[in-house]
Amino acid sequence: MRCSRRATGPRVYTMADRETAGNGGKRQATERGQGVTDDRQRSRRRGQGELEALVLSALREADGPATAGWVQERLGGDLAYTTVITILTRLLAKGAVTRERGGRSFAWLPASDEAGLAAHRMRRVLDGERDREAVLASFVTGLGPEDERLLRELLDRPEAD
Amino acid sequence: MGVFVFLPLVLPLTAWPVARLAEQHLHPRTATRLLTGVAAVMAVCSTVCLGLLMVVGTAQLPGNPLPDGWSDPEVRAAVPHDEIAGRAAIPALCVVALLCARTLWRHRRVRRRAHRALAGLPGTEVAVLPDGVPYAYALPGGRRDRIVVSTALLDCLEPAERRALFAHERAHLAARHHRHLLAVQLAARANPFLRPLRTAVAYTAERWADEEAARTVGSRRTVARAIGRAALVSRAAPHAALASFAGLAFFTGLASFAAPGPVPRRVTALLGPAPTVRRWPSVFTTVGLAVWCAAAGTAVSAMSSANSAVTMLVILHAATPL
Repeated sequence: MRCSRRATGPRVYTMADRETAGNGGKRQATERGQGVTDDRQRSRRRGQGELEALVLSALREADGPATAGWVQERLGGDLAYTTVITILTRLLAKGAVTRERGGRSFAWLPASDEAGLAAHRMRRVLDGERDREAVLASFVTGLGPEDERLLRELLDRPEAD
Repeated sequence: MGVFVFLPLVLPLTAWPVARLAEQHLHPRTATRLLTGVAAVMAVCSTVCLGLLMVVGTAQLPGNPLPDGWSDPEVRAAVPHDEIAGRAAIPALCVVALLCARTLWRHRRVRRRAHRALAGLPGTEVAVLPDGVPYAYALPGGRRDRIVVSTALLDCLEPAERRALFAHERAHLAARHHRHLLAVQLAARANPFLRPLRTAVAYTAERWADEEAARTVGSRRTVARAIGRAALVSRAAPHAALASFAGLAFFTGLASFAAPGPVPRRVTALLGPAPTVRRWPSVFTTVGLAVWCAAAGTAVSAMSSANSAVTMLVILHAATPL
């Protein structure tokens, strides 16, 4: 059966991750033993990509647009409010998030896609409900142990008409 | 009246043969409506019976607010073993009420949450969600009925099969199948003997939508292929398979070693000729005879359920001081 799966993961997140992982690894090889300042700088540099990913994933967990304050709280309050704003602005420049004015501040949305967000939320609904089948009429239900073989036989049968 | 007062509680057992026969031999639309109706009538009768037993049971408890006449020996004589039955009916009725309330609440919650999940999307009828798990659902209610499909499922289907999928889900929405499903689910909560009817209606509703889809697309084979592919792809995704196993009825689950599950049966039915639209098969065939007998049995049991309930009401009415 031909079936191409579309990748659905958060792309910006993975790119940021790969970038930082690559940088970190290279530097670790060349700069071993160069002192504390370098070490701190490295963690700060790595921090930028990581923070962007963190902020983005926090934003993805929100049910709709979220304020910077909400993101800050969501991340445990380790980051300063201005840092969150800075990161969000940087993400905006990269096109990874969008914002809309809500009152005096901005409400932020992951730009990746509304559909991706909806899919995420829908999955949470589907996974969270044990007997959702009773509510949502599903296209197909599960197959029993013998059903798969039977089904393949049925579908492979030559067309009668 | 004697033991007949307990009849409505056990008579749903007689609906089992009619469920099996209707599922296999009637047009899915007729079968769905018939079985839903039978289940609803029997569930109401059984609950009324429980309620009456509870009244007799609580009337003899000291300090109850019910009329004293209800605990007269004459009333109690109408119910054999009234002390045990009456008291057992109290927790039973409470359990039924609780289960039904929980079912309704869950139903509303799933629908509300699912609609909220789609809130950010444009308000089209079909919502395509980028998800690696294959699924497709008909989501009734909200601002408008919607069809939710994941890209993983769409990617596996050919254009004609996708049309079949959408036609199937639209048929669910147009015929308001969720009401049938909710009704039989509540019935199964009210009396556990009605569970096979729930399984049967879940199956016939799918068959009904399949037939509608086949009519819309114009090819039974295309619908059969769409169902088969979707089922096989869902099987490959352990996540989805696990989830739907839990939802898949318990009774078909137990019987699945012997009999094929609902999906192969749907595909087989679609690969065969279209079901006749005629409402009832002739009495002179074996199948027809069986269907008619089972239907008559169900009607009789529903009527005697109602009869017992009415008799109890009359007795209580007579015993009530004005």
